[in-house]
Amino acid sequence: MTLINFFIYLLTMVGIYSLLAMSLNFQVGFAGLINFGQVVFFCIGAYTSSLLATRIGIPLPFCFAGGMILSGLFGYLMSIPTKSLKSDYWAIATLATAEVIRLIALNEGWLTGGPFGVMSIPQPFQSLFSMISYPFFYLMLVLVCVLLIYFVLSLLSNSPFGRDVKAIRDEEEMCLSLGKNTRQIKLQAMVVAGMVGGLAGALFAHYIAFISPENFRPIETFLMWAMIIVGGRGNHAGAILGAGIIQLFNVSTRFIGDYVPLSSDSMASLRMVIIGLLIILFVSYRPEGLIKEKKKVY
Amino acid sequence: MLKIKELQKNFGSLRALDRVSLEVKGDSIVGLIGPNGSGKTTLFNVVSGFYEKDGGEIYFKEERVDGLTPDRIARKGLCRTFQIAKAPEKLTVLENMMLAAKNQVGENPFSALFVRRRTARVEKENLDRAMELLKVLQLVDLKNEYAGDLSGGQKKLLSLGRVFMLNPDMILLDEPTAGVNPTLTMQLMKAIKELQQREHKSVFIIEHSMKVISSICDKVFVLNFGKKMAEGTPGEIQKNEKVLEAYLGGS
Repeated sequence: MTLINFFIYLLTMVGIYSLLAMSLNFQVGFAGLINFGQVVFFCIGAYTSSLLATRIGIPLPFCFAGGMILSGLFGYLMSIPTKSLKSDYWAIATLATAEVIRLIALNEGWLTGGPFGVMSIPQPFQSLFSMISYPFFYLMLVLVCVLLIYFVLSLLSNSPFGRDVKAIRDEEEMCLSLGKNTRQIKLQAMVVAGMVGGLAGALFAHYIAFISPENFRPIETFLMWAMIIVGGRGNHAGAILGAGIIQLFNVSTRFIGDYVPLSSDSMASLRMVIIGLLIILFVSYRPEGLIKEKKKVY
Repeated sequence: MLKIKELQKNFGSLRALDRVSLEVKGDSIVGLIGPNGSGKTTLFNVVSGFYEKDGGEIYFKEERVDGLTPDRIARKGLCRTFQIAKAPEKLTVLENMMLAAKNQVGENPFSALFVRRRTARVEKENLDRAMELLKVLQLVDLKNEYAGDLSGGQKKLLSLGRVFMLNPDMILLDEPTAGVNPTLTMQLMKAIKELQQREHKSVFIIEHSMKVISSICDKVFVLNFGKKMAEGTPGEIQKNEKVLEAYLGGS
């Protein structure tokens, strides 16, 4: 029974991180927006949805929607400096932005509960299921979200909008010379990515039922980057595959601790070393990742 | 169509454009020549909004356009190409063409998701037009190749194709034949002339080869050290002593 529970937990986390990786991939792989603060969408989605549920007590679907909307709005805010900052400087700014938001969550205790986080976050449709079957239901909910987002993002990336986004990634000046409002297109891409990241945050918060600023450290962004580097950028399936591989490794090594003669501290460090090594190997030997960007053939 | 008055652009103490005034009329091909560093590309960069001017006025279709951003100028119907051809490398030749079409449906997330039928219809129309233009440019066989895999000359052809796909009222071409072999050059010129005559656009073209200039241009402007030196028909320019001196380096 515990093994099945473990697999359900693993797959649920893979699903949530698939959403985060697809969101990051939409920014990096499609729009060329190097976001080192991706975790901020996760954080805002999680806090917004859980605070709406615990403090105000509105129905959960509205909490989820609130998380997505606020996170999308934050994507809008983050896209504003792309006007004047070059991509690498913007990337550094995003890293700082994510930390600022996490520190606000840590210090503004009146709103966020500070270091103690938000506790006993209600779970959707919990009364309809038993304690044993509920995780399975939640897994299905997450999978439906992943499929839906995969479908929506595929529609977007195959549309004229997706073509504009990719063209801006490769040649922004040329797009300007063709009369494309590149700022507005980047802004729209960031809002879409923000909403997807926010959904992942809300799903995470209501699954774990307890969140604290600890969940949203920069290392999470690093994991999401590892996912799209391994899985491949510029296509949505790569992001899901990458999320699967990295999460499988990340979660499962927590449970083999009993069988290897290492302390849990050194296990945790070793895990990061191995993921780092994986990134180096992929960047040097397979820079396009496991699944390549697909060519659109008419 | 395009009227430039006393245009100035300085880079530090260098006067790249020194009170240049010129006018390009509609439905014609006009050349811009001058030695290296005479300010030709700078003029294009300022007119298309990629550089800020330091003085003077630019009118396009009787409307002031100086100070506008490049994309807004392009949307007014004034479109330029680059000296070193740019092409989004991970878009195919055909996608490059489709990208350029104006008034597309589905260029924002909302219409891409919810106005799909109309988007598909417009896409089909643009696809047909793109194929037609690719035939003229002899790029049909390469339609599904990544633009990043094309040769320099083919990229130049493609940037012409994008411009004609966009169908602006006036086109600024920055050395469309530099680094292109002579056969392809003549082919390019033929394509420019053909498309200009068919669509009655204005073309303003930077070019070094007098042969190319005299074969397609109705009028030529000569820049030297950021100043307008001469203007006239290609025949007149070829006989102009000052121009010959500037090019041949007389004392």
